[in-house]
Amino acid sequence: MVAIDPTLLTNILLIGLSGTLICLAVHFIPVGGAPAAMAQATGIGTGTVELAAGSGLVGLITAAYMYTNVENAPMALILAAGAVGSMVMLASTMFSGGLIYAYGVAVPFASAQVKKDPITGDRQDTYISKGTQGQGLPTICFVSGIVGAALGGIGGALIYYVLVGIYGQLISATSAAAVAGVFTLGVFYVNAVVPSYGVGGTIEGVHDPKFRRVVGKDIFTSFFVSILCGLLAVLIAGGISP
Amino acid sequence: MVLDLTMSMAILALMGALATIAGCLEDLESDVGSQSNPNSQVQLAPQMGFLHRIFNKAISGEPISNGMSAVIGGTVTTVLLSQKFYPLTAIVIGAFFGAIILGIFATTSYAGRVASQTRFKQPLYMDIMRYTTPSIIGHNFIMNFCLVAIAYIQFEILGYPFTIPFLALIWGISVGAIGSSVGDVHYGGEREFQNREFGCGLNTALSGRIVRKAESGLRNSIDNVWFCAKFGGPATGIALGLTVFFSSWPTTIFGYTWKAIGVGVLIVVVLIIMNRLIELNVRHAYGPYKEEKNEKEAKA
Amino acid sequence: MSDVKERSPNQLLLIGIIGGLLGIYLTYLLPFAGDKIGGNPAIVLRTIAPTFGALGGICAVVWGADAVRRVAKYGLGTGVPSIGQIAMGMGIIAAMFGLAIVKTIVLAGPIVALVTASILGFIVGWFAQNVIKMKIPVMIRCMTEIAASGTIIIIGFSAAVAGNFEFANIVTLVFDNGIILAVFWVGAVAMLHPFNACLGPDEKQKRLLYLAGSTGAITMAIIGIAATMTLGTSGVITLVLGIGLWIIFYKKFWDEVYHDASSVVGTGLIPKTEA
Repeated sequence: MVAIDPTLLTNILLIGLSGTLICLAVHFIPVGGAPAAMAQATGIGTGTVELAAGSGLVGLITAAYMYTNVENAPMALILAAGAVGSMVMLASTMFSGGLIYAYGVAVPFASAQVKKDPITGDRQDTYISKGTQGQGLPTICFVSGIVGAALGGIGGALIYYVLVGIYGQLISATSAAAVAGVFTLGVFYVNAVVPSYGVGGTIEGVHDPKFRRVVGKDIFTSFFVSILCGLLAVLIAGGISP
Repeated sequence: MVLDLTMSMAILALMGALATIAGCLEDLESDVGSQSNPNSQVQLAPQMGFLHRIFNKAISGEPISNGMSAVIGGTVTTVLLSQKFYPLTAIVIGAFFGAIILGIFATTSYAGRVASQTRFKQPLYMDIMRYTTPSIIGHNFIMNFCLVAIAYIQFEILGYPFTIPFLALIWGISVGAIGSSVGDVHYGGEREFQNREFGCGLNTALSGRIVRKAESGLRNSIDNVWFCAKFGGPATGIALGLTVFFSSWPTTIFGYTWKAIGVGVLIVVVLIIMNRLIELNVRHAYGPYKEEKNEKEAKA
Repeated sequence: MSDVKERSPNQLLLIGIIGGLLGIYLTYLLPFAGDKIGGNPAIVLRTIAPTFGALGGICAVVWGADAVRRVAKYGLGTGVPSIGQIAMGMGIIAAMFGLAIVKTIVLAGPIVALVTASILGFIVGWFAQNVIKMKIPVMIRCMTEIAASGTIIIIGFSAAVAGNFEFANIVTLVFDNGIILAVFWVGAVAMLHPFNACLGPDEKQKRLLYLAGSTGAITMAIIGIAATMTLGTSGVITLVLGIGLWIIFYKKFWDEVYHDASSVVGTGLIPKTEA
């Protein structure tokens, strides 16, 4: 057993933390699953996993590009770049989705989980169409989604930042980016799917009662699994070194 | 990196345009085959006794199937580029391969899903298979071409650290996620259920009761594209165009600094405000569904 | 869902593990044996060896598709595809770890990867069952199986592109040019597509397994195209063999569809029902 190096331990913990951030992100993004695509439930009409992945990976691209362009970039700048890329993707998606709900299906936005929107204070329950669980993206869902996207972007960028730092010392820059990128993808998917099982495929965002019910155990699971992934990632570096 | 501002803005504009086309075509392709979330209703319909002539393209979720076709396109393009092909030729051939593979998966999913619904007596229509699949391949080809072209520009010209297949895959996942959250609502929320009252969500009791008759004859998947091309497709295109454009625009103009991050956040805030304006507009225009209950509570 | 005359999970597990590992190890052992013999056979063996990696990958796809089928039957709440994604996510982490950690003892790589994937899958499955409380009785076992098959798929197809499974070699020939993404993603679709495409009350295992063979063969053909860049002739063999296998399995799948479907018609009106 090698002596535990503090840098090593920090790196493992950072990867564990980023996995947890991705898990948390899934809870913040308002996803209504298939019913939402039929204006039958509040939220974005797609699956939790793919939306978190879609936005988080755009964040990964922007973060990685920032990393290549700024020499000795501070960690905060990379993470912010990831968060912005991810937020822009989700914001434009939700905005265009809102256009369809508003002018294609012609339904007002309403949440079924709260009576009044916590941000704007608008009545919600009277605007819910008959036989549905709400529809569209009220402001609270939109803001919650943006927060979630930011967390997902930061999470993805953080793993990449840590890993590319480790592998960059051992192999060429191209290989380091490829290996770190693929590993990030792997960790991202594991941490996006696990909480999706926890929330059962749909969640309205931070105001949903489900959020408080499931967030604790999902985060516990994600943290444990990500720490394990972090351990494996750091050990890979030991294998790469010639 | 060595580009001046005008040139990098031109490239950014080109990427935005390619992304807009890709987003639009992605959504229309998913509507031709009836993929992703609205597909749950097509799948449910025979169980409710509503047999239909609509394609059932259950390859997987949209992000996954589009990621697949894009990554195949990217891989084949990489192989051809290594053989010193002209880039445009390489991208076209690569995109074509991706589209063909997607078409093969589309046929197996239609046949497989219908064969698994034997007890509801849903027939497998071979003519639907024959003329819908080429349409799927055609739409997907254009999407692949645009995405692989974006990946090529980012890798070769802008110097992104990831390879062409990697970037193509991520944009494929992204376009699928956007297409299923934006364009599919127009198909699932409106086109599949045009027989119910306009201006309401789908009542759960109506699930599976999809419209099966077209303006003339029986409705098939090609009729659905005709409708969704008017709003759902373009809106999806705008979403992906905005994503590609605004995720690079701040850094192109303001450099790789905190200022660019601030501008990015500002863009997001503007989008939040615009969404709020739409919400207010719609609430005023359509009004609440339950007037009386509202008044009663107001009196009490 | 009649469970008569089905292949048992254990049978498929053996096919997946033994077939998969055999294919992977042959990519290493055939050139080794060829060197012992020398002469023309050595060149032939060296050329055909990588193809076996892809064949092993197909065995793992068939196994993984059946594992997905068993667990997704219960309804996961997020659709079938998510489980294919987590399988590949765990698979790629374990594969990279297993191949890298063994350093010079290259032969141990795939086994270490397989064991790591099983442990990772077991832990995720245990958490899903006991902490998230998904109440799916086969969750732990199936999660372990899909993670393990995911890692074999990745190593098998990567070996078909790189020629062998030395980590340094794989990094240069599979990671640097991005082909790993094709392995990762097309492999995931190959594994999750069969059940997603056959979902329904009259789903049959036989049809699903033929479809899994077909999707695996498509992956093999694409890997063959990629391998023409890295290995030349070996890639052409993988490509041609992949297309051949695909035609066989695709035809078998369609035979099953014609047999199982309520009716297959050229065209026609919608049959009358009570609705």
